[in-house]
Amino acid sequence: MDVSFAITGKGYVIIAADTTAARSIIKMKSDEDKIKVLSPHLLMAYSGEPGDTVQFAEFIERNIRLYHIRNPHPLRPQSAASWIRRSLADSIRSRRPYAVNLLVGGYDPAEHAPHLYWMDYLGTMAEVPFAAHGYGAYFALSLLDRYHDPEANLEEGIATLKKCIDEVAQRLVVAPGKYKVKVVDKDGVREIEL
Amino acid sequence: MARRYDSRTTIFSPEGRLYQIEYAMEAISHAGTVLGVLAKDGVVLAAEKKVTGKLLDLSGVKEGGYGGSGEKIFLLNSNVVAGVAGITADANSLVNFARQAAQRHLFLYNEDIPVELLAQRLCDLKQGYTQYGGLRPFGVSLLYAGFDPHYQFQLYHSDPSGNYGGWKATCIGANSGTAQSLLKQEYREDMGVEDAVGLVLRVMSKTMDSTTLGSEKLEFATLTLDTATKQPKAKIYKPAEVDALLQKHGLAKKDEDAEMR
Amino acid sequence: MSIMQMNGGSVIAMVGKDCVAIASDLRLGNQSLGISSKFEKIFPMTDRVYVGLPGLATDVTTLHQQFRYRLNMYTIKEEREIEPETFAHLVSSTLYEKRFGPYFIEPVIAGLQKTPSGDLKPYIAATDLIGCLNFAKDFVVAGTASDKLFGVAEGLWEPDLEPEDLFETIAQTLLNAVDRDAYSGWGAVVYVLTKDKVIKRELKGRMD
Repeated sequence: MDVSFAITGKGYVIIAADTTAARSIIKMKSDEDKIKVLSPHLLMAYSGEPGDTVQFAEFIERNIRLYHIRNPHPLRPQSAASWIRRSLADSIRSRRPYAVNLLVGGYDPAEHAPHLYWMDYLGTMAEVPFAAHGYGAYFALSLLDRYHDPEANLEEGIATLKKCIDEVAQRLVVAPGKYKVKVVDKDGVREIEL
Repeated sequence: MARRYDSRTTIFSPEGRLYQIEYAMEAISHAGTVLGVLAKDGVVLAAEKKVTGKLLDLSGVKEGGYGGSGEKIFLLNSNVVAGVAGITADANSLVNFARQAAQRHLFLYNEDIPVELLAQRLCDLKQGYTQYGGLRPFGVSLLYAGFDPHYQFQLYHSDPSGNYGGWKATCIGANSGTAQSLLKQEYREDMGVEDAVGLVLRVMSKTMDSTTLGSEKLEFATLTLDTATKQPKAKIYKPAEVDALLQKHGLAKKDEDAEMR
Repeated sequence: MSIMQMNGGSVIAMVGKDCVAIASDLRLGNQSLGISSKFEKIFPMTDRVYVGLPGLATDVTTLHQQFRYRLNMYTIKEEREIEPETFAHLVSSTLYEKRFGPYFIEPVIAGLQKTPSGDLKPYIAATDLIGCLNFAKDFVVAGTASDKLFGVAEGLWEPDLEPEDLFETIAQTLLNAVDRDAYSGWGAVVYVLTKDKVIKRELKGRMD
């Protein structure tokens, strides 16, 4: 039932994920953070099978941290995403695969460009201008086909994101109430309030 | 007394030395010279070949996808070339390991391996042989000329103990001391790759035992950026190209020498 | 729902006169939901060997990276570039290695093969998901629109097409076949390999 969106704009990626932690029909928590900060310029929203999600996200988070401690330079978004994809691709053919879907967004200071990757639990990866997971995807993607602008500034990007959230709130029966929103750009990662 | 500690790589002598490593270093100081110079828009490598002679079959060298005779200079990855000095058989095994390591990184991260990381991979292996298992360490020093987006052009050196370091210009093998002091005198910070080629050839011609330079004694390589694609481009010179280069820099053999052959 | 139909996508290769062409659509979907219209399934392995990998998208990426690894090791050790026929056998053995837990991909290979006399001869081949090679003299197809591609190609293809005519034939075959397939489309890409150059063209297609 998780919903997550991500959109790129001029020099940034915005990622939004709902904050509900649910067990069947019961809402257990309404302020869960489902967006991990993997490095100073990298964000990852995760959704899927409860249990798998946190376990897998922390595995990725710790390993990317380890890479940064061992090596004098950080992993660039493209390389980090490729490595995460490989972890999922290895996992799907293992005895007990993780069922986790991801949106990985980052800013590459070397080439001054934002990058966004859509990934599913099979290890399917695509670089995209905007992406969504969960039931929200069916509403948000068509809306973003119409309104997304890769050259939009941050304010315009946030306005587009709000359109997605409002559409989902209006049309989806199981729409989440609250979202956490994070931005990554040349200055790094920060959380924003809508 | 020393002999009691000689035969094991894993044992310190009472003076706190590891003889096998020192012997390995000694072996390298007799090997063909390898020279590297870092310029602001490229890296240059040159190496002295020891195995020569007119009976040597070099027909395979003239063609080939990458050039070079495969004795001293090797392509490790699309962004790294290496020059080796020491036991050639050991070097071949290390080169193979390096190529695998580079491809493993490409497979895992979908990017060319950063140069320092590749040097580290090899040094981890080399260090292992000073401590565990085998009878002796690798008798090989390497110069790595490489490019990555993090630190642009780079030049590294690694020795049999597993130590490595970055250099602006350095030399390994026979007469490396002489070459190094020459490099110290003549190296300039703002050198372009053309100047570096000149410097390398000049120093090489002074340090090598033979009086004249020629493609049968010299291997040569450059690493630059392709102007169109902005991707690193390694060029290992073929014998004819080496001779042409020497001609251009006025270091080629005199005509009489050619007739002598 | 079949796993081969999960992400959609189709590839076709055709032989011409001293040239070959390989083309694919650009859709990546999750069942009926479109995710990306820039998902390339054709990869250059050398300047004159191309491989198309239609099927499960996770395996498209995995296999491409696998082939790149093996091919780079081949090139650096052999000090020469691989021939299409050799590459086809590399593809075949890589897939058969996973005979009892296969990659869900049906590769298509197109290239120009060096003959002993030194000139280049068109080469195309396709395999099933466990690496059974199928050589063809005319065209090969694979992917979710393969049955439609067979039909259209059968009608349009003729022997000894010049590069530009081959381009037109393969482009029309692909575009018209994927229009009848819900899981393929969203734009296309065509490569034409000739003796002295490779022409890459991106085609606009119906976006529905």
